[in-house]
Amino acid sequence: MTTVLLVDDEKLVLRSLEKTLLRAGYDVVTASDCKSGSETFAQNRAQVDIAILDLNMPGFDATPKAGAGLDLLANLKEQRADLPVVILTAYDEVNKAREAVSGGASAFFVKGREQGLVELIQRILGGQG
Amino acid sequence: MTPAERQTHLLKTAARAAKMVTMILDPQELLQRMVDVICDEFKFYYAGVFLLNATGQYAVLRAGRGEAGAAMLAEGHKLLAGGNSMIGACVQHRQARIALDVGAEAVHFENPHLPNTRSEMALPLIVGDEVIGALTVQSEQEAAFLEDDISALQTMADQLAIAIHNSNLHRRNQDLIRQAERRTRLLEAANVVGREVTSILSLDALLPGTVNIICEAYGFYYAGVFLLDESGEYAVLRAGYGEAGKAMLAEGYRLKVGPGSMIGAAVSFGEARIALDVEEERVHFKNPHLPHTRSEMALPLIFGHRVLGAVTIQSVEERAFSQDDITTLLTMAEHLAVAINNAYALERLKEAHAELLRTKVFEALTTATTEAIHWIGNKTLPISLTVSRLREEIAEGKVDLDSLKEDLDMIAESAEQITQVKEQLIGAVREQKPRPVLLADALEAAALQRGLAAGLLSTQIDPSAAYVIADSTQLVRALGNLLQNAGEAGATSVRVAASPSDERGMLRLVILDDGAGMPAETLEKAWSPFFSTRGHQGLGLPASLHVVSQAQGRITLESEEGKGSRVEIHLPLARVDGESLSLDGVSSILLVDDDDEWAAAFAALLGGAGVKVTRQTSLKKLPAADLVLVDEYCSALSMDEALSALEKAGLTSKTVILTAALNPERVTRYLRSGVKDVQPKPYTAAEIAALLQ
Repeated sequence: MTTVLLVDDEKLVLRSLEKTLLRAGYDVVTASDCKSGSETFAQNRAQVDIAILDLNMPGFDATPKAGAGLDLLANLKEQRADLPVVILTAYDEVNKAREAVSGGASAFFVKGREQGLVELIQRILGGQG
Repeated sequence: MTPAERQTHLLKTAARAAKMVTMILDPQELLQRMVDVICDEFKFYYAGVFLLNATGQYAVLRAGRGEAGAAMLAEGHKLLAGGNSMIGACVQHRQARIALDVGAEAVHFENPHLPNTRSEMALPLIVGDEVIGALTVQSEQEAAFLEDDISALQTMADQLAIAIHNSNLHRRNQDLIRQAERRTRLLEAANVVGREVTSILSLDALLPGTVNIICEAYGFYYAGVFLLDESGEYAVLRAGYGEAGKAMLAEGYRLKVGPGSMIGAAVSFGEARIALDVEEERVHFKNPHLPHTRSEMALPLIFGHRVLGAVTIQSVEERAFSQDDITTLLTMAEHLAVAINNAYALERLKEAHAELLRTKVFEALTTATTEAIHWIGNKTLPISLTVSRLREEIAEGKVDLDSLKEDLDMIAESAEQITQVKEQLIGAVREQKPRPVLLADALEAAALQRGLAAGLLSTQIDPSAAYVIADSTQLVRALGNLLQNAGEAGATSVRVAASPSDERGMLRLVILDDGAGMPAETLEKAWSPFFSTRGHQGLGLPASLHVVSQAQGRITLESEEGKGSRVEIHLPLARVDGESLSLDGVSSILLVDDDDEWAAAFAALLGGAGVKVTRQTSLKKLPAADLVLVDEYCSALSMDEALSALEKAGLTSKTVILTAALNPERVTRYLRSGVKDVQPKPYTAAEIAALLQ
């Protein structure tokens, strides 16, 4: 069973994405900020196959930070360099996408086009597999 | 008349003439009176006074008796000094000449205006050694002049000469005084322009003022100010005196820089140009709007080494400009150039400021737009995600009821959040009704409305800062947003202090919390709509800013991460005087409210008006009353409890709910429960009287 780590501080976004992924047949572990995201990953390192991280959310110090998702990306990559990571954001912004990719993200996904999220995960994991 | 009588008469006439010359200062009047006296008293046919012109070449008739005199004056009658006439010979030889029969007198000039003359006498007018003219006396009789007449008339001629001389001196003195007065006026005018150039920075006000001062103080025909256009090719008229100026401004009058006009030349060469008779001045431009110009001066306006334009000053007189004029006008032009340069500098500063503002507004809009996109994305994502998932589940026939319920809740919650944005956005821009509002009451309502934990808020309000002028609903909204922010920042204390501000008529309100505070990066974006660090709409602070600005106030925010935030608001102060109330129809009121400042003030005002007010903070044992007033924001009770207790006591129809913050949904709910009315809380005696009417 494929496990997805989902980190977002928007409660409803987190839950609706979780349900969508569950329905698509994934196991989902969730967190709402960088710190708990990093800890959740550490606890489930063996199971997590892919991480989906919100770009703007509370950082490691629990205060909101623009681009905090990129900090968590770096943290997770330190924990496991080959972990596929998708950065999730409401901003349709090329520079942030470039930054995410250079930080090792597999994809940069803009909220509102989420119909393709499940296909994206399948494609990333399929390509890897 | 016997010779003795005639002698006496002559002496009396000479004495009268002597008195006259001391009393009449106007030379023209004096001369005319003199010829009249001579003819009337001596019964002569004609008398006239000639004065030498400036060159001494001609004796010019200056006064003449009767119609003949008037006709000759009108013709500009003059006789060559030293010529063939008796007058000419008299002034030439400084001696009286008498022709007892003019037909036989060789030097007599046949005058068609005086055909009946048979005797003529010409008497020189001498002052000291100087001949200034001559007096002619003519008779219809041959040999008319007796020895006594001659000596009496010569005496009168001598007195007349002195009087004319005195009159000339008097005129010269008057000229000197006028000149001194004019100089004073010119210096004052130059001072006014000098003062104005330091106080008026708008050229549209300064330039017309300057041309008016020049024309009015100096009495000139026209003045105008030209400024060099951007290309440097034309001097464009920016202010012009009177109707001519108005007409030229309307047609966009301008002159090419260069030698083709006085202004063009003054600007081109940076030098003053003065044409004392413009007809002779090559560079003068014939202007149909100013047909009477006879002198013109063009003064360049120079600041540093730069020619900014030129001033034209025109007069209807030839050689109109005195040295005083030129000196003071040059000074004025220098002052004006400084002012124009200042105005240009200010314009450049304003442009730079506008550019900066545009940049800042663009940045703010970009931030707001980015935040709005982020916010909308996050709030709509659960809806679209859930809907697409539900569609799939329905298509597959695998709908789980619990999951469906959760999905519907998520959709509802997202929709609710989006709806709240509408209220935050629209609420703050709703119509405002500014009035005196008791600040303590607005704060209390705001704290209750936002569910601020009891004991968190402490207020300290200076009695002289008790009332502000604001719309109470909007003020409660603005304060509520700020208190909510403090509460959500985890504050354990929110201290509010109000006092009169240093700025006259304003109040300073400080809200200090010990919550989480904000880092600089967050603080920078705090006023941007949709920016929030707590998953809200991020419209609270912008809405508060809007409300405070609408109330003619201002708001600032300081914050330090880990220490808390400080909001300072300045609002117009209201003075509420203790007026007396007189009321009819209401004798007892039950007031259900906290034991707060407003309730105490309300009860005190009505007590003075002879109304019995029973105050209660709870709903136990409600006594009978003509009217029940219930404060919507009362910490001791919820409105649902209040409405049901009032119904049980049968008081619903006598109840008016008072609120510091009107809300359409709640007003509708209360009215549907059957209460008499819902009204904004009254803060002044007049409002209370209106409420109880």
